[in-house]
Amino acid sequence: MITIKHDGCIFCVGCSSVCPANAIEAVGTRMKTYPEKCIDCGICVKVCPANVICMYKGIKDWKDLPEGAK
Amino acid sequence: MASKFDHDVIVIGGGPAGSSFARAAAGNGLDVLVIDKRKELGVPVRCGEGLGQAEIIRQGLDLPRSCYSTEIVGAKVIAPNGKSIVWKGSQTSGWVLERKVFDKWLCELAVDKGAKISSYTRAVGIVRDGKGRPQGVKVSHGGREPYDISAPLIVSAEGMESMMAREMGFKTVHSLYDVDTCYEYEMKPYEHENLLEIYFGNKIAPRGYAWIFPKSDRKANVGIGIGGLAENGSKLGGVTGADPKTLLDTFVKGNDKLKGASTLLDFGGVISVGLPIREFVKDNCMVIGTAAKQVDPIHGGGIGLAMEAGLLAADTAVKAHAKKDFSRDTLFEYEKRWRSVTGPTLENRMKLRKVIEKVSDDDLNHIFNTLTEKDLNDVMMNNFAPAALKVVAKRPQLLAVLRGLLPGK
Repeated sequence: MITIKHDGCIFCVGCSSVCPANAIEAVGTRMKTYPEKCIDCGICVKVCPANVICMYKGIKDWKDLPEGAK
Repeated sequence: MASKFDHDVIVIGGGPAGSSFARAAAGNGLDVLVIDKRKELGVPVRCGEGLGQAEIIRQGLDLPRSCYSTEIVGAKVIAPNGKSIVWKGSQTSGWVLERKVFDKWLCELAVDKGAKISSYTRAVGIVRDGKGRPQGVKVSHGGREPYDISAPLIVSAEGMESMMAREMGFKTVHSLYDVDTCYEYEMKPYEHENLLEIYFGNKIAPRGYAWIFPKSDRKANVGIGIGGLAENGSKLGGVTGADPKTLLDTFVKGNDKLKGASTLLDFGGVISVGLPIREFVKDNCMVIGTAAKQVDPIHGGGIGLAMEAGLLAADTAVKAHAKKDFSRDTLFEYEKRWRSVTGPTLENRMKLRKVIEKVSDDDLNHIFNTLTEKDLNDVMMNNFAPAALKVVAKRPQLLAVLRGLLPGK
């Protein structure tokens, strides 16, 4: 799954436009992620112009993220 | 007889494509609802805001002064070694827009024609009939409880994200090869010449370019877009990837005219530089504008193309409404017309993109030394052969790279 540092996000929806799994979407004023759909491909991380997306391979749930990543 | 539907058409997205469609369709008597998930139309801005005047004139629109920041008279392209060619001609006038005002203005024109627009209204799903054909949209206003709105025709004008187009079965996901990732500052002061400045070079912007677009009151949009496959940066979690911001900071530092300038706004985005999607219509639905990747593959510009597609699609929608037939066969007229009118131009531009991305900085310098303003004008008008022949005559080793632009190809 991925996490997004919302305080640096410029809300460009680039991540969503390249996500092959429909796992990111602009909702309200933020990008919302759907960890259960994420396929850990990392394309959004590579393309993010603001460098605010971090991938945690193999993790499917917020509660399993390492300390400091939540 | 009262229709069983709430509206004749629901348009998802109130950008230039959706609002142009709505203006034309409502003007011909259709009941059109445009939903846009943003709280404020036109915000946030995600592009360089440049627009040529051709499409505005063709559509008979009179652009209010508030919609643009400054007028432009042409473009200046700059080689890696600093050599520049200025291109001014009958086709080069235009504007650097204030997108926020411009998008809202287009929406207001649609409202004046009788369309309804609903901001902060997000499509969360597609409503279908027993055969799986779209018959409406499930929407949520301001994040509240979703409800259904029905219409026999759904138009996706969603831009880059295109979530509902995907749900309706269109292949709109972008590949890394066919996107540029961009970062941009609005800066001040910058003494400009009412020219769009485009800086080429693999060092400045790998498979892309840097730009300085003039704005009013000594302001400018200063940005860089690079290919999605670039690996110039270290991204979070130790991944390498495209990092336009670091390159932009380097570019700004290296430009004497920007020394000491302030940044007034950070923005950016991912733009499409690929070819249009394979199909624009299915039963009861159409895709228009950037959602259909109707963009220029060289610079990702899509405002004029979106407005054009909006009108073409609306024309077809009006006919479909009169026939009460929203099948793919009827809606295909829009796609057929678009592919015969605009499709070939964009395919040519794609050819040019594929050549430019293979050329080294040294070759670029050579090409700029060889070409005149007239040659550049030819290239921009999609007449590649004279310029390509001239370059190859002086540097035969470029034949392999430029082959696709030579006559007979």
